[in-house]
Amino acid sequence: MIDTKPTPGEVASETSNPVIPASVSPTPTPRWHQRINGTDGLRLLRVAVLLGLAGVVVVPIVATIVMGSRADFAVLLTDPAVYDATRNSLVSSAVSALAATALGVGFAVVFERFRFSGQNLLRWFLLIPFLIPPFIGAMSWMALLGVNGPANQLLSQLGIDHTFSIFGGTGVIFLLTIHSYPIAYLVISAAIRQVPGNLEEAARMSGASNWTVLRTVTLPLIRPGMTAAFMLTFVSSLSDFGIPALIGLPERYTTLTTLVYRQLSSPSSSNPLPEVSAISMVLMAVALVALLAQRGRAQSTQIIASASTRHYQTGVLGFVAMVLTWLWVIVVSILPLLALASQALLPAPGVPLTLENITLDNIITAVTSPTAVTGIQNSVMLAAGAAVITAILGLGVALLLARSNHPVNPSIDVVANLPQALPGLVIAVGWLLVAPALGIFNTPVVILVAYVMAFLALVVQQLRGPLASVSATLEEAATISGASRLRAIIGVTGRIVAPVVVTGAVMVFLTAVRELTISILLVAPGSQTLGVAIFNLQQAGNYNAASALALIVAIVGIAGLSITAAVTSKRQGK
Amino acid sequence: MAKLQLTDVQHVYPNGHRGLRDINLSIEPGEFITLVGPSGSGKTTLLRTIAGFLQPSNGMVDIGGTRVADDKSWVGPERRDLGMVFQEHAVWPHLTVFQNVAYPLQRKRVAKTAITRQVADVLEEVGLSEHAQQKPAALSGGQRQRVALARAIVSKPQALLLDEALSALDEPLRARLRQQLRRLTQDEGLTTVHVTHDRTEALALADRVVVLNGGRIVQDAPPAEILANPANSFVAAFMSDAAVLQGSWAAGRFYPDNRNLHIADDAVVSHPEEQTSAVRCRTTVAPEDIRLETFRGNGPADRTVGTVTSVLAGRFGTEISVDWDGGTFDVYAPVGALVPKTSDRVVIHIDRMHVFEDSALTAHGAYA
Repeated sequence: MIDTKPTPGEVASETSNPVIPASVSPTPTPRWHQRINGTDGLRLLRVAVLLGLAGVVVVPIVATIVMGSRADFAVLLTDPAVYDATRNSLVSSAVSALAATALGVGFAVVFERFRFSGQNLLRWFLLIPFLIPPFIGAMSWMALLGVNGPANQLLSQLGIDHTFSIFGGTGVIFLLTIHSYPIAYLVISAAIRQVPGNLEEAARMSGASNWTVLRTVTLPLIRPGMTAAFMLTFVSSLSDFGIPALIGLPERYTTLTTLVYRQLSSPSSSNPLPEVSAISMVLMAVALVALLAQRGRAQSTQIIASASTRHYQTGVLGFVAMVLTWLWVIVVSILPLLALASQALLPAPGVPLTLENITLDNIITAVTSPTAVTGIQNSVMLAAGAAVITAILGLGVALLLARSNHPVNPSIDVVANLPQALPGLVIAVGWLLVAPALGIFNTPVVILVAYVMAFLALVVQQLRGPLASVSATLEEAATISGASRLRAIIGVTGRIVAPVVVTGAVMVFLTAVRELTISILLVAPGSQTLGVAIFNLQQAGNYNAASALALIVAIVGIAGLSITAAVTSKRQGK
Repeated sequence: MAKLQLTDVQHVYPNGHRGLRDINLSIEPGEFITLVGPSGSGKTTLLRTIAGFLQPSNGMVDIGGTRVADDKSWVGPERRDLGMVFQEHAVWPHLTVFQNVAYPLQRKRVAKTAITRQVADVLEEVGLSEHAQQKPAALSGGQRQRVALARAIVSKPQALLLDEALSALDEPLRARLRQQLRRLTQDEGLTTVHVTHDRTEALALADRVVVLNGGRIVQDAPPAEILANPANSFVAAFMSDAAVLQGSWAAGRFYPDNRNLHIADDAVVSHPEEQTSAVRCRTTVAPEDIRLETFRGNGPADRTVGTVTSVLAGRFGTEISVDWDGGTFDVYAPVGALVPKTSDRVVIHIDRMHVFEDSALTAHGAYA
């Protein structure tokens, strides 16, 4: 994993390396000359990519491991706060991942096996919780279920003497589920689409009803998909900060992420870094185990056959499924956003929502306040920077992986994709450790490089499929025409996949501009990002201003990601 | 073993494409039928209508005297008591061979001991007894297809449906399975409907061959009859690779449009009814019905002369292509017959040909 292969110095010393067997010839061969002269520019690219990955990914991880191993584990393991946080993290992540997977299976069956009108619109609504950052989702639910929120007002008007509260462990699990089920749905519906239709038809011919086919054939066949969905949602819930911070902390429900946040932000404690690094190491290990478990399973049971979707011919059941799904999206996707919007449009909490009371003042004040302006400026700058850097580095990584067959490739693959599986907290802690040595501590630069580390895999993974489908013969044609290998790769293939790189960069921008976990741990005076600004406003009780900014972020995010997805799928459809 | 009966079946796809038109087909108990036709001819649509995956837009389907589909009633595939083998075997990868074959019996709530016995019996029959506890991934393609066959027949269905069941297999294995399939269905007396695009297979296996084109049945006859007396030029061209030539029929004679073609009067074995005026015709000439003779330059002028363009030797004879002024004839020379060489000049003798009236053809829909 830790790979610090050829740096320029090592490359130069390779010829005199006594370890090289005699058959390779210690004296320069013609092939060697070729490389020295730069004919095979691929080597240059490889060195650049390795240096980039080492700097952006490997160094912070190593720093975390070095610092973490200095922690006093005896103290750490007996600390009741750490114990509680670990338990809460594991329980909330596992329970929400289980629930999200179950929901994912249900919705995947509804969308892949029933046919009804308005399916695409409904699917888009279903995915909305995925398109807004979890902390803004949490704010929406706080607006909906707050003491003076519409839900509790409705209850009291109905004469029911009960007050909903979203705060505490149950609320955290509920919200983690809401924000994970769309990923689970996407993974599982992809798995269902892979099930060959004739396997289900064969079961029907053998006398099985639709329900029996689902139980005995379809679900067993998508078990790898379900495992993958569980692991993905488990890790993403484990690393979430916004939901446990906003929903858990008021009820003293601490998770590992909020524990680390508290320790780093409380000035009283003695040097918290070894302990925080140790917690970070634990999270890293859990994420790695989950990642490896999922990869191993996915490879062991692959179904090889042509897939074709078969739909049930059950009119009534399909109608019921459609109605239930609409009810779900109204409650889960639409109502919280409406509550957030109404809070943003009202002058103060508790003011009744009427047409006369609605005002844009909040939004205008919020957006023009110095905090917000700085936050927006910083976030846009940092996200744009991260988008450009990840695009360049990601393209380099993807080109190397697709177009060369070097022993170092598997390591590049792992290192480039690893950070995506790592909780944002781990990434932030890593940079917290490295930053002082690089002289970027308390500057926006440290947030920038942390973003690059966190979102690099988005670009690499976007490129994998398109690059595989570009024939290498196109490059060979360029090489025959006199272009060097590197020029052929960048000039031909790079240009063909350029639109995909742009899509990847846009996705990085849209994700980074709303980021909270990394930003809040690395924030310094003057480098406050939009997410941090909203979070601080919310924590300070300035709900209307916070909601106003959150609403803008939610709308921009939903629109931006939907458009990107539509553009991508249109391109793939061609 | 049951009788299958389709009466006036039509199928129109949601996009308006007419998959089946006026299908009337009766399959006797124990009969082996093959459905053949070019892709898009409706053979798979017909099979899926019998299976119950498609609901006919019109008409009736009866299985074993029970109405399974008409205007009012509809019986789903799981309650039709049929067995089916799919092209890509569709053996469930998450179940063992035994569990795959036991599945239909479990759905019928057969007692466990009876399941064990019946599965063992049928696995013995297809020669897979020693693989019962293996997962399909451990089997070869041919073995998997035999698992699919065992699964389809284990519950003694009313009929067996085969959807390109052998097409995914390689040749020597395919021939062996073809024999096994024929023997098995005969022993069990299974009513069988077999869809294939392989004409040799269709002719070899079937009691009756049903040729489809454009969603219609164009001929329904025993294999020998299909070859000897094709119903129209489409059947002749599709089933026998016959060459199709245009011309007219008048006063008991065929006049080819191309005057370079010379045909002996006694070569015509079937022709349109006599009419007072000439009618437009197509004639079909099968490769088996042409003889070649070395051209020596002298002899009568009214002969068709051509040049050999390719000679492909096979196990049972030689396929020869001959170019003449009006096009190309494929000629089939059995083992021992004269085999010319490429670019030889040869005289073409047509021994047998069928003449079909053009109007009869258009009534049967478009050409493939």
